[in-house]
Amino acid sequence: MQLNIIQKRKYTYAFSILVTGAAIACIILYGLRLGIDFKGGTLMEVRFAETAVPTADIVREKLSAIELQSLLVQPTAERGMLLRYLASDETTNDQVLAVMEDIDPTVEQLRVDFIGASVSNQMKRQAFTGTFLALLGIALYIAWAFRRVAYPVTSWEYGAGAIIALAHDIIITVGIFSVLGHFYGIEVGVPFIAALLTILGYSVNDTIVVYDRVRENLLRARTGTDFEVIVNRSLNETLVRSVNTSLTVIIVLIAVVILGGESVRWFAVALLVGVGFGTYSSIFIASALLVTRFKMKFPDALVKK
Amino acid sequence: MAFLFEKASFLEKISRLAQGRNVAYTGGYMNAIKRIRYQFAGVVLLALVSSLIAYPKIVFFAPPIERFFEQAKINLGLDLQGGIHLEYAADTSDVDEAKQDEALQAAVDVIERRVNAFGVGEPVVQLSRSGDENRIIVELPGIKDIEEAKKLIKETPFLEFRELAGPEAQAEIDTYNAQSKEAATKILDNVLGGSDFAELAMVWSQDPGSKENGGALGFAKKGAYVPEFDAVAFGPDIASGAVHPTLVETTFGFHILKKLEERGEGEEREVSIAHILFPKYSLDDAPQLKYKTTGLTGKNLTEVFVDYQSQGIGSPQIALRFDEEGTKLFADITSRNVGKPVAIFLDGQVVSQPTVQAEIVNGQAVITSNFTLAEANAEVKRFNEGALPVPITLVSQQSIDASLGKSALDQSIRAGIIGLMAVSVFMLLFYRFLGLIAVLALLLYSAMLLALFKLSVFTPFPITLTLSGIAGFILSIGIAVDANVLIFERTREELSFGKTMRKALQEGFRRAWPSIRDGHLSTLITTVILMGMGTGFVKGFALILSLGVLLSLFTAVVLVRIMVNFLFADWMERHPWILVTPKKIDTPKD
Repeated sequence: MQLNIIQKRKYTYAFSILVTGAAIACIILYGLRLGIDFKGGTLMEVRFAETAVPTADIVREKLSAIELQSLLVQPTAERGMLLRYLASDETTNDQVLAVMEDIDPTVEQLRVDFIGASVSNQMKRQAFTGTFLALLGIALYIAWAFRRVAYPVTSWEYGAGAIIALAHDIIITVGIFSVLGHFYGIEVGVPFIAALLTILGYSVNDTIVVYDRVRENLLRARTGTDFEVIVNRSLNETLVRSVNTSLTVIIVLIAVVILGGESVRWFAVALLVGVGFGTYSSIFIASALLVTRFKMKFPDALVKK
Repeated sequence: MAFLFEKASFLEKISRLAQGRNVAYTGGYMNAIKRIRYQFAGVVLLALVSSLIAYPKIVFFAPPIERFFEQAKINLGLDLQGGIHLEYAADTSDVDEAKQDEALQAAVDVIERRVNAFGVGEPVVQLSRSGDENRIIVELPGIKDIEEAKKLIKETPFLEFRELAGPEAQAEIDTYNAQSKEAATKILDNVLGGSDFAELAMVWSQDPGSKENGGALGFAKKGAYVPEFDAVAFGPDIASGAVHPTLVETTFGFHILKKLEERGEGEEREVSIAHILFPKYSLDDAPQLKYKTTGLTGKNLTEVFVDYQSQGIGSPQIALRFDEEGTKLFADITSRNVGKPVAIFLDGQVVSQPTVQAEIVNGQAVITSNFTLAEANAEVKRFNEGALPVPITLVSQQSIDASLGKSALDQSIRAGIIGLMAVSVFMLLFYRFLGLIAVLALLLYSAMLLALFKLSVFTPFPITLTLSGIAGFILSIGIAVDANVLIFERTREELSFGKTMRKALQEGFRRAWPSIRDGHLSTLITTVILMGMGTGFVKGFALILSLGVLLSLFTAVVLVRIMVNFLFADWMERHPWILVTPKKIDTPKD
């Protein structure tokens, strides 16, 4: 049994263009909500005594005297309150804690993440350098993977296909996080960048494996075969493999998202979304791009030798 | 170059083994069988050792062995055990270029001394340079009071000169002692009135050693306690179970004393005493009271050094040089205190109490004591810390309450176990017998990685497991079986071409290898780069994921190969469907 995947490419193209377009629109419209590691600031989680849990409004009102910038107050489960604000120094944190102690003298400080401006600047620099190096690494890897040129599609065309598919995964993941940031206050920081780069490193393989199989089948193909048929067969041959390798990763990531706790949840969500779309794009987009490109060059779409 | 070649040949070996060359069915048959058995025995041994290290409870029936292996513990990050990570920027702009390193090191030493005094487990204080900024990183695991710790660290080292306080100090001590005695008398009345001795001891006693035990000190022989205490405890007037009717005063304070029981005769006689202590102090116990401030502090010092000229004559001296204001202050102080001690305090502790010989007007002083040269140098260093503080500002803090860390650890362990089980079920359903082997290899992988974490503690490169590291570990479980999926899919494909199971397996391992190698390589490229990226979160994740990807290459390919070789039997040829789900594939039409 063979699935006609390539033949239905106009639907998957339409879907991908739609989703990518929406993602880009969201990114332009909403932007990303940057975490304290990029902006500097404080994230403080406190827990009140059972009898003294205030509402978020009360906390906000009491804190208004300090004039905190971009203050966010969020009640958490178990009598807790999560505070985020921009703070450039330690004294602000001490003042905030004093206000909390004013509300409830027995308040417990569960967690404080404070990042000063010099550290956040340094993190930004490191994230940029890291991203640049990782992209360079992946690009070199792709170049290496397609070093053997296979007529009728050139190596750079394979490479371009792989890169378009990767860009597609990344744009959609970033878009989803801009929506999450806008509507649910989910912030992105260095871990999010790390998740994106991990997705790149992991997902590029599915695409490369399909392409490898295309190349292999092209070498065996007889003159006059439809290129589209060869690509579709290659895709079918590697389909179970692609789906299963991704599924094992998706299974464990779902476990982390559901059970892993707050601190790693959104990191795992980013990985999950990225790997999910990565699998989708290597099956439905990357190979289809080869066929589209081939038809541009050879309108009759037959493999010539 | 020799190194490179060795590496290459090692990689070559792994790849040969992974691809199934140089293993069974080639070469002499008997030799091959023997080799397979040895290899399998190796796998079993590896499994036993790593599970024993990873989870010593499996030998619960042999407690000594269990205890031995339980010594190895995984190094948990601050986010899992609770604790505080502080990063300070040190401002060295006021310090001579040449002396900067020294000043920074001095600041680190002071902070180290302070956090050590805090008594938390294994604090870390270290210097780090970020661009042109000097940072001091302080990590305090398992700490409870974050604010207190920060305050303690932040105080710049403080050096001051103090002189003897007047009679008001003695008066203050006397008042305190009187209050202590009064409280003791009240509690004694309560005890004699029938209140529970142990309960009162837990609330009131100031003896931290016995307080928690209801004041009980355990059995002791005569002579174990200070004389006043001893006399009552071993005296004839007190019966077992009785409370001594008056307070017992010793140098420690006022004791309410109860004899619990006694045993033995003569030399062997032992009594078990419980007591409630209300302490009293003398001026010598309270230097802060004994000496009052003079206004002369470390900021008035211009120089402190070991006076080597005096070497050979006697013990080395410590020479002090004051600035103008200090010179004047010091002249006043010394003129007031000839023949009396002046105390030098560092961070509230007396470091030296030299006696003033004469008024000193030239702004120079020496401290004479029976210093060895090393001691004198150490003293000078301490003065310099007080005199040359490097101002520090907090630039970053991550603190996690221990309870939060514990629950994060529990949650992520549960996520890991569920993830592992779900992947195992998936592999069993999809790949049947081969899936079972992959699951065994996966379990072995997990045990080996855990064992690796534990063993790394004994090497110069201990691995710290953070929350993000666990996330990396869990992700690596999903990636680890990818190699098996590739091999088994290739095997199914070869089977569908009508090959024998033996041949199909061989081909499966051989042909899947390049894909496996490339896949692991591309993941490694990014994780290695991520390791260089700043934050602890990303570092922890990337490090564990890299280790996992490398280790799983061994377990999922080499170990699975060895197990398949060992377990291979003729029934597999007859019933391939037990081994793996069959695959139907269309014959190529082109």
